[in-house]
Amino acid sequence: MNLDTKNIIYDSVKNIRTHGKFNGSIIVMCKNENIILTDSLVYYDNIIEINKGLMVGFESILANKKEAFSISSNFRFNLDEDTIDYSVLIPEDLVEKFDKERFSDAFPYTINLLHSAGLLLNENHLGMNHLDFFKGEILKNPIALIHNGICVADRVVIDESSNPIFYGTLIIGRNKKENLSISYESIVNVSDKLIRYIIIIGIETIKE
Amino acid sequence: MLLWENLKLKFLKLLKIKINPFNNFVATGEIEELLDFVDSRRHFLNSLIKFVTENEGFILPILGDIGVGKTHLFWSLKMNLKDKFNIIYISLDNIYRKFYFNLYSEFIEELGIENLRMITQELCNNWSGLEKKYGFFPIPDIQKARSNALNKWKDDFGDKNSLNDIINVITSHQLDPYKRIDAEDYLLGELMNIRELALLDVENDLRNKKNAFTMLKVLIENSKLGTIIFIDDFDKIITLMKEEEEIETFFDSSWYYGAEESSDNIVAKNILGKISELQNIKNLKKIITLNSKNSLDEIKKLFKQENIELSNNLKEPLFLSNFKEEDIYKFYKLTIDKFLKSINSSEILSDFKNPYYPLSKSILKKIYNKSEGNPRNIIKILIKIFNDIIYYDKINQE
Repeated sequence: MNLDTKNIIYDSVKNIRTHGKFNGSIIVMCKNENIILTDSLVYYDNIIEINKGLMVGFESILANKKEAFSISSNFRFNLDEDTIDYSVLIPEDLVEKFDKERFSDAFPYTINLLHSAGLLLNENHLGMNHLDFFKGEILKNPIALIHNGICVADRVVIDESSNPIFYGTLIIGRNKKENLSISYESIVNVSDKLIRYIIIIGIETIKE
Repeated sequence: MLLWENLKLKFLKLLKIKINPFNNFVATGEIEELLDFVDSRRHFLNSLIKFVTENEGFILPILGDIGVGKTHLFWSLKMNLKDKFNIIYISLDNIYRKFYFNLYSEFIEELGIENLRMITQELCNNWSGLEKKYGFFPIPDIQKARSNALNKWKDDFGDKNSLNDIINVITSHQLDPYKRIDAEDYLLGELMNIRELALLDVENDLRNKKNAFTMLKVLIENSKLGTIIFIDDFDKIITLMKEEEEIETFFDSSWYYGAEESSDNIVAKNILGKISELQNIKNLKKIITLNSKNSLDEIKKLFKQENIELSNNLKEPLFLSNFKEEDIYKFYKLTIDKFLKSINSSEILSDFKNPYYPLSKSILKKIYNKSEGNPRNIIKILIKIFNDIIYYDKINQE
């Protein structure tokens, strides 16, 4: 569904700006493909301030190597610098659905990674693909960038053809008219070719 | 099929495999009764259901002679109200020792594990047991949940130690994956050893009456369904109080219990005290069955002596009467249908001119008159008749 304007804090393409203080489940998409998750954001005078957010993405550690990272920190962006693509507040009803359909932590065969790590990166000579290694496993807390959409899921299962299947997923992205849209899907089946990257967020990072 | 052209013969041959269609003349709380109430009792059942759904905190006496179908009423209620109420059957014979623990065991069996998990999850959500990090990831905060729960409930529960124990178990069950299995065992009423109790950070398991009562109150008050306790043969409490006068014993129990009261008398008073305490549980409704009006009068007196509030909550009784004549025909046909269905032969009766085969309407009428419409006596006679058919190929007209 198309997002209500009140849920769009900032959209660089459609030039939507909603000033104020926001609390809830908020996603910020950066133009360098990093994603920030937070529960508190303030937007005023062309400045976005994030009080304790979690930034995830890939960074170069060598000329020919990239590695996933996640940083928990306060962030401040000046929108004149054109670093942010969009920022949205997820509607309450979708968050409720997302929470309700979470897989129980008591299920013993779910893999929680201790530290955040890249599962897949499609980038010419710098790519990585660990999907084969986790074939048939259930991994908790994946976040993926798919073409021009973000996928925040409760868990991801790697099927027999090494394609990821996301369960309990919030999808945020742009439709054909470049409007920001959001949906909740119980199951999302994506070919690994369409995925820009998948990062599994480590439990230590979340608990920090 | 050619072999069974004679369906009457087929029916008799089926009986010969020594399955009596009428095999149960006493309903119990353990074995499910699949037959619903007969038509003449529908009105009674409907008014009972109406009363139960529209009233709160009552004790409702059901009066009826021995064998009239008071225990069967429990199964009919269960069949008709299973979507709205947890209905627990209690016989005082089984629970007069360890009253709350036994009551809790019955309750938890009726509630089921899935509903139990839903209740503890909801409680922990209400106590803000899950803090949401970065707006997306719920992280358990056990200490916060425990202190919120204590603050919320400290005025509603008398015993602080048992409240602490119960809160610790519920929070461990939902928020601590390493203690979840032990906490679930505790909630299911398993007996715990010292090591397990220490792991859960609690002092007592549910054998402790205060813990059992507190847990019962918490689960009943937070269950999405209401709860009805069906206490069968409540007259037992009067028998316990009078036993000493009737039974001559060689052992003088007054050496132990003092001259004024016998042990049974003390037990009976304890039960009354506990039933009085159950009044403190919201959403709990109680139905008691009694054999006679005299018993009800005595119960009224006992309740008045125990606690005036208990006496006020005792409602006017409903009377369960014997079968009407048409009920015996319907009951007979339903039971035979059920029997034939259970052996995949329900087609047999459809072709008979006499729908009461191998008996007849006049025999059923005689049975009704002889038993004066008492369902248990009717079933007893039918059992005897069918045994005669099975073993001696005859119907004894007497």
